[in-house]
Amino acid sequence: MLAPTFIVLTAVGIYPLGYSLWISFNDYHPSNPSFPQGFIWFENYLTAFLDGQARHALGLTAIFTVSSVGASLVIGFALALLFNQRLPGLAIARTLILIPMLVTPIAVGITWRIMFNPDLGVINYLLGLIGIPSQGWLASMNQSLLSVIVVDVWQWTPFMFLILFAGVRSLPRSPFESAAIDGASRAKIFFLVTLPMMRPVILLAVLLRAVDSVRTFDQIFMMTRGGPNQTTDLVSLYLQRVNFKFFDIGYGAALSWLFLILLMAAVIAFIRYSGFLRSAAEKEAR
Amino acid sequence: MTTLPRPSLSLPGRRSAESPPWGYRARRSLKVMAVYGMVAVALVFFLFPYFWMVVSAFKSPGDVTAYPPVWLFEPTLDNFRELIESMGALSALRNSLIVVGLSTCLALIFGTMAAYALARFNIKGKETIALEILMVRMLPPIVSVIPLFLLARKFGLFDTYWILIAVYTLMGLPFVVWVMRVFVQEIPRSIEEAALVDGCTRLQVLFRISLPLMLPGLAATVVIIFMFAWNEYLFATMLTSSAAKTLPVVAANTVKPRGISWGLASAVGLLMSIPVVVLALLAQRYLVRGLTFGVVKG
Repeated sequence: MLAPTFIVLTAVGIYPLGYSLWISFNDYHPSNPSFPQGFIWFENYLTAFLDGQARHALGLTAIFTVSSVGASLVIGFALALLFNQRLPGLAIARTLILIPMLVTPIAVGITWRIMFNPDLGVINYLLGLIGIPSQGWLASMNQSLLSVIVVDVWQWTPFMFLILFAGVRSLPRSPFESAAIDGASRAKIFFLVTLPMMRPVILLAVLLRAVDSVRTFDQIFMMTRGGPNQTTDLVSLYLQRVNFKFFDIGYGAALSWLFLILLMAAVIAFIRYSGFLRSAAEKEAR
Repeated sequence: MTTLPRPSLSLPGRRSAESPPWGYRARRSLKVMAVYGMVAVALVFFLFPYFWMVVSAFKSPGDVTAYPPVWLFEPTLDNFRELIESMGALSALRNSLIVVGLSTCLALIFGTMAAYALARFNIKGKETIALEILMVRMLPPIVSVIPLFLLARKFGLFDTYWILIAVYTLMGLPFVVWVMRVFVQEIPRSIEEAALVDGCTRLQVLFRISLPLMLPGLAATVVIIFMFAWNEYLFATMLTSSAAKTLPVVAANTVKPRGISWGLASAVGLLMSIPVVVLALLAQRYLVRGLTFGVVKG
């Protein structure tokens, strides 16, 4: 019964990756007249280590992921607590708030690019109403990274919220009652009761969000294509340029593999540190 | 103010018990107002861009770029007409439906079989297998799209349905396997054993007993894998050129070198969001489970 899954996994997942590994040891420039250029050992990997552009992209990706995941965790948690009140109308609001994560990323990118337009965009218009001067947003070198982070936070905070809300809902009641009876302050209850009890859910949400955030491509490709002056040139966008603009496929494959290894190492380190798979396994064993 | 997950409304703390009832009530209504205020702010932030997209979809080219932005205007369907007539939206819609529909079905069938096997039979190293399947989820598309592009060319699959169906099936599998594994584990073995004793074959047990019990899980997974395949752009644009072009590619094509056609872009964005929003809201109860690979219960 495992066979069909394995066939798909091998043919569409592992085989192309293996092919990519082989290409990464080749000089592979399909646009050059001398194609194929042949096996060059580790030259692509050596180039990658000296590539300042790649390091720049990696740094940007790290900043982008950490700030986007961090911001959506804080906002998502606040929303989860906010929506946990039993008040009429909140159920509908809770449903509506999920819409951003359902919209096609391409459309999200285009819509925000329209709204961010410095001259005709609605954001600068609304800010103007409350007396804030027009900003450059995506067109400004200082604000472009911030702008794409805002869009990522906008789209994926609902995802964070959805998971955290489920976690908050399933918290047992008694620890909070005892804490309240003991006269603990709200801040104390939050930091000493809520947060520790939510830890597994938070870790899972952060892991899933981070893995997705690192791969972000569509929205940024629609909004800036990595510009202006490569201030939003995340790894995924840089890889796209290496492969489809410079047609340096061998080098792109080498970069991809280095990126993949870094990513896997980060994920494994995170899982080890958080022990989240262990707790999942324990749950299954029960 | 809202840091208490279980509302203290029904559980007044020590201090509020000491204060007179009218003071408590005033504070409480103040708190309720603050909650609604913050919910309103959140709703505006999360819904305004979507609202703006919907509104822009019905604006004429003059209205959509007007500055200051116009809030009252004469709605027009011209954008949708142009999408169909000159952007090939209809054939892209057909392609999207075929590709996403088939890959969703395949991922569901293959994934449920694998999940059932992993949950029920003693297979060596099944945790490793499950983890490997999960790793597919972490693979950045930009990494695998280039080898797939080269291989698709080599095998003559470029710009066909088959290559996209294969890729989206792969993308959906981790969700199905992981979520369904949890759902299978929750079905008591005794039910299946009773059916086996009564003379059902293994397959009959799966189809007649277990599958009906797994339906809620299947519904949630369908929505999620449908959403990811329906919205997928990178593979769709790199692995097709014209014959198998899907809707996200049409959406991206509204961005032209001389500028974006704002109305067209909004119209296609609105069209694409409708099925996902409807499905997701219908299956909302199970979404959390699906998205967290069955770890968190909704």
